[in-house]
Amino acid sequence: MSASSLRIAGVEIAHRFGPRVAVRPVSFDVSAPGVAAVTGENGSGKSTLLRILCGLLRPSRGQCVFEVDGRAVEPRRRRLFTGLATPELSFYEEFSAAENLAFAAETRGLPNPTSAVRLALERVGLTPRADDRVSAFSSGMKQRLRLAFAILHEPPVIMLDEPGSHLDDAGRAVVEHIVQTYGPKSLVLIATNEPREMALAERRIELSGRGLERTA
Amino acid sequence: MPNGGSNSAVAVWSVLRKECRTEWRTRYGLNAALLFAVASLTAVSFAAGRLGNRTDIMAALFWIVLLFATLASMSHAFVREVEARTMLLLRLVATPTEIAVGKLLFNLLFLLVIEAVTVPLFMVLMGAPPVRWGQFLAVLGLGTVSLAASSTLVGAVIAQTRGRGALFAGVSLPLLLPVLAAAVGGTREMWAANSVAPSLKLLGAYAVALLAASLLLYDHLWED
Repeated sequence: MSASSLRIAGVEIAHRFGPRVAVRPVSFDVSAPGVAAVTGENGSGKSTLLRILCGLLRPSRGQCVFEVDGRAVEPRRRRLFTGLATPELSFYEEFSAAENLAFAAETRGLPNPTSAVRLALERVGLTPRADDRVSAFSSGMKQRLRLAFAILHEPPVIMLDEPGSHLDDAGRAVVEHIVQTYGPKSLVLIATNEPREMALAERRIELSGRGLERTA
Repeated sequence: MPNGGSNSAVAVWSVLRKECRTEWRTRYGLNAALLFAVASLTAVSFAAGRLGNRTDIMAALFWIVLLFATLASMSHAFVREVEARTMLLLRLVATPTEIAVGKLLFNLLFLLVIEAVTVPLFMVLMGAPPVRWGQFLAVLGLGTVSLAASSTLVGAVIAQTRGRGALFAGVSLPLLLPVLAAAVGGTREMWAANSVAPSLKLLGAYAVALLAASLLLYDHLWED
């Protein structure tokens, strides 16, 4: 499958959690290859929108189009094509970084889990701590592990939610390197308000909602 | 590039191995379950002595010990994932059915380990009469499958609800009562040298119905 045949579009997508508006109606159309930034105020629904796009959440309104080779991919299969790094993603604390990724690689059915894990850890600079348990990791190291998890299966869509959070300068350089590596061949979506991360994107999906809004 | 044709058997096997490794490293449920089984059997043995002639009481006691030794830990199969916030990771690498079947197999394995300790201990401490092994193992096997299937299903359903602890007890009761009634009845009839066929039929039908309902439901779990 070629990543260039991948398209994600939103048609008036909106979502609410009970009385709270999580995402105000938004429409967009992005395709691979490329980098798009999802921006908006705190609470405007950037993370929620990413969860909708990768099939974890069903939008309250509107339609999400996820096409590969011109064929629609149903929500439950989108995870196969998507790598997601989000602050909500936690790992098994009793396992090492390598064991966590190996579990993900084996469960996803990757043909060579060991080399996939090694490569992903290398790319985020975690190789020296590969065998340390996640419980001993700092916030920044856990964030690097999330990035490794997102690129582990070389997906055609990479969604990075606040990718620079908890990272030092070297960590932010890892984010930039990932975006520069995958941008030319995949679709990279970055949910962020950081100017440095927004500058990595050539397109922008602007969310207009306010986090404390309670009525439609 | 993704492996679009993700193999479900591989995913189930991977989830099962992960569960075993987690249990081995944390001993979260195993120690508690074994402690309950040994302590309760020892306490009853001290209080009432050997119950060799009261096979009806022994049958009930046997299943009560198994039930409580296992349920407390099996209910945590999904709750632990939610509380450790690892459910998202699981959902990104496997389908709900693959996750649930992996956990069901782990619960079955867990029950077998508990039974490997509990059954001989029960026979010795309670002075149980000789068992008819074919019938006993059939009742035990079907009862085990039903217990594991019902607790896995309830655990999956309540995992992301509030007040999970209270809900587990409330939702489990109606699912577990038929299993307990048939298993206790079958064990009692086995010791009384009567036919266990009616109990086996009920347990078998219930196990099949539970597994079928579970497989139908699992893919719709956790849809937001």
